[in-house]
Amino acid sequence: MSGILETLGNLYESTLFVYGLVLLIVYALLAFFSMLAIRGYLQKNNDHQLDLLASSPMAPGITILAPAFNEGLTIISNVRSLLTLNYPRYEIVLINDGSTDNTMQLLIDEFKMVVVEYAYNAKIRTQPVKKIYKSTDPAYSSLLVIDKVNGKSKADAVNAGMNIATFNYFVCTDVDCILHKDTLLELIKPVMQEEGKRVIAIGATLRIANSCEFDEGVMTRMRPPRQLLPRFQEVEYIRSFVLGKMGWSYINCVPNVSGGLGLFDKEVAIRSGGYDHSSFGEDMELLTRMCRYAHDNHIDYSIRYIPKTLCWTEAPSTLKIFNRQRTRWSRGLAQLIYAHFGMFMNPRYGKMGLIIFPFNFFFELLAPLIEFTGVVSYIVLAIMGRINWPYAVLLLLFVYTYSVMITTISILWDQLSFRYYKSWKEVLYLCMTPFMEFLLYHPLIVVYSIRGYYYFLTGKKSTWGNMQRQGFGKKK
Amino acid sequence: MNIFRYAPLAIQLAMIFIVIATAGTLLAYFSILRSRYLGYRQDKRMSYLLPKVDNLIIEEVLTNPEVTETSYSDQLILNTEGFQELPMHKKWVREAITGRIMHFRRNVRGNMGQMLRSLYMQLDLDKDTMKKMKSGKWEKKVQALTEFINMDMSISDVTILPLTNSRNRELRAAARHAYIKLSKNEPFKFFDVVTEPLLMWDQVELFRIISSTEDIAVPNFARWITYSSNKSVVSFCLKLIVHYNQLPAVPAVIKLLDTKDHYLRANAINCLGKLRVPDVEEKLVSLYSSQPLHCQIEILKALGRISSGRYIDFLKQEFLHSTDFDLRKSAAKSLVKNEWIASQVLQELIDTANPENLRILKHCMNPLIKY
Repeated sequence: MSGILETLGNLYESTLFVYGLVLLIVYALLAFFSMLAIRGYLQKNNDHQLDLLASSPMAPGITILAPAFNEGLTIISNVRSLLTLNYPRYEIVLINDGSTDNTMQLLIDEFKMVVVEYAYNAKIRTQPVKKIYKSTDPAYSSLLVIDKVNGKSKADAVNAGMNIATFNYFVCTDVDCILHKDTLLELIKPVMQEEGKRVIAIGATLRIANSCEFDEGVMTRMRPPRQLLPRFQEVEYIRSFVLGKMGWSYINCVPNVSGGLGLFDKEVAIRSGGYDHSSFGEDMELLTRMCRYAHDNHIDYSIRYIPKTLCWTEAPSTLKIFNRQRTRWSRGLAQLIYAHFGMFMNPRYGKMGLIIFPFNFFFELLAPLIEFTGVVSYIVLAIMGRINWPYAVLLLLFVYTYSVMITTISILWDQLSFRYYKSWKEVLYLCMTPFMEFLLYHPLIVVYSIRGYYYFLTGKKSTWGNMQRQGFGKKK
Repeated sequence: MNIFRYAPLAIQLAMIFIVIATAGTLLAYFSILRSRYLGYRQDKRMSYLLPKVDNLIIEEVLTNPEVTETSYSDQLILNTEGFQELPMHKKWVREAITGRIMHFRRNVRGNMGQMLRSLYMQLDLDKDTMKKMKSGKWEKKVQALTEFINMDMSISDVTILPLTNSRNRELRAAARHAYIKLSKNEPFKFFDVVTEPLLMWDQVELFRIISSTEDIAVPNFARWITYSSNKSVVSFCLKLIVHYNQLPAVPAVIKLLDTKDHYLRANAINCLGKLRVPDVEEKLVSLYSSQPLHCQIEILKALGRISSGRYIDFLKQEFLHSTDFDLRKSAAKSLVKNEWIASQVLQELIDTANPENLRILKHCMNPLIKY
């Protein structure tokens, strides 16, 4: 019996060793690829190009879809922010998803909205649309508001917006996100510059808005969050977008375009069935289905990311809300892997089946479980007195220094490319965060992820919760 | 040292990586520090230099009395003393001045533009550009070509033409733009030889250059519509035909309706509609039933744009009997565009339409709704 346990223990140890090694190699490769991708982006782009496109009659039209649910606190400044975007041909479709507060009334009063008879064609089934509004003020002619019955998900609201979108490309964002004024110009450029492939989705870097300053929905001063929890998230976003997504983008293997900001090919999105309202990770789910559709229909596609920060979003600043958010995300991941497991290691789905899906399965889905079992076995072995402490400390130190290095490299890429933040102090603040992240923040992620998997397995009911925003007011 | 020597391989690797990771992190911090410092120094220099350069440009060029002269001579010597007081021997200063001159030139025309060009040459900044042109780095060449285009500096075809077929996409595109803008012979010659597709981005840049170049000899684009085997060139030429309202090109565009590529056919229909050629309506209507959906939509739109009033019945039939929502909406829009003659038909449809069709009609008639 003890022989079997010994063998199993050795097997577990060897598996973990290989697992850890592959993960470290993947991150090293991502760091290298992201450097190449960012360098390529910087070489190809300049501000003059944006001016050129902004004044071009040939710029493709874009529809912005912004779902809102009980956003009365911030809705006016956020719509104003969308109205100030610099692009020659766009419309804003705001979807009021059955808000129970005064969101709709505020919109009607502020933007002089009236009900119009609109030819709405439901290509994707959603909860019923009650009314459609347009503004009588020519200054807001690009704004359209859909008032619909609450669909209990962001997905249902965006699908209604997709049904009404005029243009071939749509940008999906959250109405509480603040966009950079050149967002549309930046997002459409990769579509227009891509050689030989159809770009079906493009994402850009998101940042945390918590300590930034805004005036009438326009970002006027960028700062890393002062509170620790949002600052951890800022660092995590930089690592995820600037290093992770850019690295994946370089080899055309982007696994997800964030729900906070992404530009999509409308035809492919609709033909793929739109967002799945039952999914907790609807953004990743849609992208997976779009890839699947593209493969099934022999569309040579690409998905790209750009390193520039174009969107600021309010991050959870309390553990309670953070827990809710991360539990939801991990549950969405588990749903996705379960629903599309047929793609796993399936050569029919190219890079999606052979690289993205296995990565998501092994290093996103299983990682918290492996970490958790690792910690448990560590404790058991410690109690049994079977730990070689000097070696254990060395291994821990290795993982710690490596994770700090990877995060610092992502901050470095970000700083070398765009030199965000005004003062040295702010950058220093950010650079110190990775040292604490491993010990304070990462364990939380592991716990919340496992909680999400548990909810997935037990089918616990959950809804599209409101994030209890603070709002982006002007600094007093 | 002994600890390392007698440790298992995994631990040895871990020790090596701890050193590498620590060194890597420190190096990253040093790089961040260095980059912030260099950026800070650059900002400081620029905040000192740029207002001075702008003032000098405003004084010497934008408010120069010669600007109002009806024809400005290239021979006019500008007063560059103020510029010579700046540390012109430093490369970054010359780069900054070139950047500002280009910035101003993008926003002015006529004599002012000419004077900015003279200033650029009198400060010998064109020599820097020429050096960049000779550089082995593609990004330097692109920068040089952009400066030449902006300054309207002539370069020999022999220098640019080989670059129009460069393997580097950015360089190839910049060379083509330069060729169109600066070639004194046949600016559109590369349309004849280009084999790979013109990207949407290339088309935006080319369109801007073509439409903003003064005194450009605009050819009849029907030539490429007829002979080019490159579909993106044909598609781009259709847009140029619309932009220049080239009615003599219409027969070539009509011939293009027979192409097997339905995307190109849709573009041709779109072009004919925008040119408002009434004679093609009959042909378009006869083609209608055999077309894929997006071509049918383009035909309905074209009938609305041409608005001759001759195909009201056809539009009415499509509106009433088509099963596709987008076709009915396009037919309704075109009927509304033909309102000058179809007001009675529209009223009749409003009175008799089912709820969905009525909604479509009201949508199309509502001035608040653009699309």
